[in-house]
Amino acid sequence: MINFIQILLAAGIIVTGIYSYQRLKSSFIDAILIFLFMAVGLLFVFWPELSNKVAKLLGVGRGADMIFYISIVFFAFLIMKLYARTRKLEQMITKIIRDQALKESENVNRQS
Amino acid sequence: MSKKVYVIIPSFNEAEVIQQTLEDLIPYGYHIVVVDDASTDQTKQVVAQFPVAYLRHKLNLGQGAALQTGISYALKKNAEVLVTFDADGQHTASDIATMIAELDKGSDIVFGTRFLTETRSQVPMLRRGMLHFARYLNFVLTGILLSDAHNGLRVMSRKAATLIQIQENRMAHATEILILVKQHQLKYCEVPVHIRYTDYSLGKGQSIKHSFKVLQDIFLYKIFK
Repeated sequence: MINFIQILLAAGIIVTGIYSYQRLKSSFIDAILIFLFMAVGLLFVFWPELSNKVAKLLGVGRGADMIFYISIVFFAFLIMKLYARTRKLEQMITKIIRDQALKESENVNRQS
Repeated sequence: MSKKVYVIIPSFNEAEVIQQTLEDLIPYGYHIVVVDDASTDQTKQVVAQFPVAYLRHKLNLGQGAALQTGISYALKKNAEVLVTFDADGQHTASDIATMIAELDKGSDIVFGTRFLTETRSQVPMLRRGMLHFARYLNFVLTGILLSDAHNGLRVMSRKAATLIQIQENRMAHATEILILVKQHQLKYCEVPVHIRYTDYSLGKGQSIKHSFKVLQDIFLYKIFK
């Protein structure tokens, strides 16, 4: 009665959850969020009909479709956040390199 | 020199050609600043022969970043006029004085252009086509229509230099400068300049892939500014 895909997905969700928690050294709020995502994920994996019911409430035909749509929005948001962080890091690196270049110019130069 | 003029030359692995560039510039008596963007060649040794300021980025950041470092340095040294100038010999030193004259007439920033006069420069056709496409793209992105989309020869007043804080480290800085000029409502104008195309500089030219990267960078710049 339990499909192989369910076992696979459940394993993936659990591993991802544990790994994320450990790796991110997550704060309390993050831990709650990770747990919530895991719970909802496992719920839908073992009771797929549930997702269909929720989907109908939202006006989407199938549970799988609903999960798909929500995932897209969620991932886009995640990527934007990650990119903003990368950008900030690059600015910080630039500042460090620039400050060092300016500071060393005082030692190196004979003429202004 | 009645005004303190600083010529900023961002440079990445241009040791071969930068010597000639510096030799051409020295007679004019400007203060010269070479910003070495983590070159792996003999740039430092070549530059050491000349009475010019030498700054070095420990890591390669890009031409935009190197320019901003040079600008910050020049402003610290109380520069009154700041010039951006390419290291590879494309630009002609004598054009600088012509452009400074425009500052005196009231402009805050002067852009060199290779297109306003036909006789002076031999622009290869494909390059010309790409540059025309790029200048209209710049117009859409910045609201400023120049005749030359990407010319490294610019002259700006101290006021303009303090307002123009370049955040785009790589090639999108040229477009970012236009955005900032518009934003701060700086008075700008264009002056025809001589561009020397050698086999060396032609070999380096900007590819289409490059242009798309710039487009992407400016798009992200506008969102995350």
